[in-house]
Amino acid sequence: MATTTEQRSDSEDAEDGVIAQWTKGVIGDDEKRARLYRALFYVACGFFLVTTLFPFYWLLVLALTPNSQILTGDWSLPVIGIEFPHPQGFNPQAFVEVFQQIPFHLYVFNSFVLATVTTIIVLLVASLAGYVFGRLDFPGKGPLMLGVLMVSYFPPAAFLIPLFDAFLGNAIVVPFLGIELFEPPRLVNTPGSMIMPFSALFLPLAIFILTTFYAQIPDGLEDAARVEGTTRLGALFRVIMPLSAPGVATAAVLTFIAVYNEYFFSSIMALENVPENWSPLVGGILSYQDQYTTDFNLMAAASIVGVIPILILVIVAQERIVSGLTAGGLKE
Amino acid sequence: MSTEQEADTADRESRRSGPLVAVTRWLENLGETAFAYLLLTPVFVILGAIALYPLLRTFELSMYVNVLGTGDPEFVGLQNYVDMFTGARDPDFPGSTMFLPDVSTSSSFPFVHVSGWFRSALVVTLVFTIVSVFFETVIGFGQALILDQEFRGRRLVRVAIIIPWAIPLVIQGMIFYLMFHPSTGFLTEYLANVGILAPTNTLNDPLSALIIVTIADIWKTTAFMALLILAGLQSVDRSLYEVARVAGASRWQQFKLITLPLVLPAVAIAVLFRTIDAMRIYGLIDITASCTVVPSLSCMVVETFNTHRGLASAIAFVTAGIIGILAMIVIYRQYKEGF
Repeated sequence: MATTTEQRSDSEDAEDGVIAQWTKGVIGDDEKRARLYRALFYVACGFFLVTTLFPFYWLLVLALTPNSQILTGDWSLPVIGIEFPHPQGFNPQAFVEVFQQIPFHLYVFNSFVLATVTTIIVLLVASLAGYVFGRLDFPGKGPLMLGVLMVSYFPPAAFLIPLFDAFLGNAIVVPFLGIELFEPPRLVNTPGSMIMPFSALFLPLAIFILTTFYAQIPDGLEDAARVEGTTRLGALFRVIMPLSAPGVATAAVLTFIAVYNEYFFSSIMALENVPENWSPLVGGILSYQDQYTTDFNLMAAASIVGVIPILILVIVAQERIVSGLTAGGLKE
Repeated sequence: MSTEQEADTADRESRRSGPLVAVTRWLENLGETAFAYLLLTPVFVILGAIALYPLLRTFELSMYVNVLGTGDPEFVGLQNYVDMFTGARDPDFPGSTMFLPDVSTSSSFPFVHVSGWFRSALVVTLVFTIVSVFFETVIGFGQALILDQEFRGRRLVRVAIIIPWAIPLVIQGMIFYLMFHPSTGFLTEYLANVGILAPTNTLNDPLSALIIVTIADIWKTTAFMALLILAGLQSVDRSLYEVARVAGASRWQQFKLITLPLVLPAVAIAVLFRTIDAMRIYGLIDITASCTVVPSLSCMVVETFNTHRGLASAIAFVTAGIIGILAMIVIYRQYKEGF
């Protein structure tokens, strides 16, 4: 970092000849060139650190600054006078008020429950599918995997309308035939109206991650278990799944994050924005934008509270996330 | 020892009976194909009920009008699709009178002179997709090159790069809403002075709002791009670099002649993934700006499905169709390379 600034100010001040000399020196001298590369590397690192982390700093500044100060819109630094956001005053009270205005913790709790239940369903179903795709050979395997993949690409908007109808309790109609099958229970305002679309939405990624991991377990281990008299399903749950624990954990972490972060169905299926009707985090945060439009410090504080669980998860499970995204994303 | 155990299990099996044992035995005796399909049943049920059925039903609904009205739905064939493209149904879109990028009044939509909502949505979605995916690829490549190096603090940098990807959409939207809201945001003033954003009412100005949404998306999803490209980088055979160095290739030559060509397939697939994903943009717009200011295709579905179900279905199906074509390309590549 220090070296670049030095070199830069040197070259800017100097005349052309010196710049030319310096450039030639850098090109010719291996050591200087290595130093330049290193300096550029750290500058780039610093740049990415600042750009990715700055928005969180901005949230913190807003949350700590009393709202009356925020509304003046003046962020100039004391002495220097440059506009740069910094906390004006210290008002941690905002973090308490977040929970007083609305039961924010209940929204977060709902998100937790929805994410956990979806993760369990997805892991169970995806484990069976991952076992089949990863370890068995049967006719129609390729097309089936492509079909599963295809589903993950479609926009949620393409599923929304019939699902919404069904969750309102309207009859399920066989497409193009007009035959009414049955009237489903009214699921809006219940966890079911969100867990069902979430499961379908995030199932394909989990299937592909688990397929990759299950396929890597040597056949010999499964055969050994089978010789011992374990059933095929027993071998899956007692041998293959424990041995692919990292893969299962990866799929679990990614599914959990995806559900916790989901917006489309979370915002549409919770008809009334009250935590008693299973409105998740989305509803909690948006109710600050809807009702108390001017409480910017509370919006920021609520966002910080909502992001903390994910922040912890990312820091603890970063290896899992990286391997999962690359394995599931690129399909080995 | 082993005979003893065999005898033991046989003994136990003979002693046990009942439905559970019967089911287990039936499962064990199934052929591999039957067993495979049996285990896949839950997947078929879930995806069939929650993905396939809605998709087909959406297509069916898209050929009707008056689905929600008091009278019977009327079959109109592909009329909804035709009307959508000709703009005949524009008055049916909520807020369309508020936001029609009319040539005479719109100061801020220089790149389109469309007067129809659907066509605006198509243009907005495509522009957003192309611009955001382009920047995400370039910046993501840079981040991937950094993460590919060994250096102190690598874990820290990696966490910092991943975090935006992991935060909830609603919080991402809130961050950028607060960052560019005229009464709080400090950035609006800077960017308005340079002429990039509208100085007042920034989040209600179509072009400004689109730019903000694009920036927000780049901030969040570049990490995903970086990780996919990183996977490509790490699969490059390191000994190639040794050879190149011995042969006297400079770093730039190594990058141009080894890294780039070998990583390009990974980049291509990452770009396709992101394109498919970016075409679905809805939530970010809904939180940061508003669907009536920056209409994307998914936005239009959500905005109209409670009033004009047939029309909304038609938009949904067109969106799915466009994405389906892109997805076919990805799938074709996967299929050629084999799973």
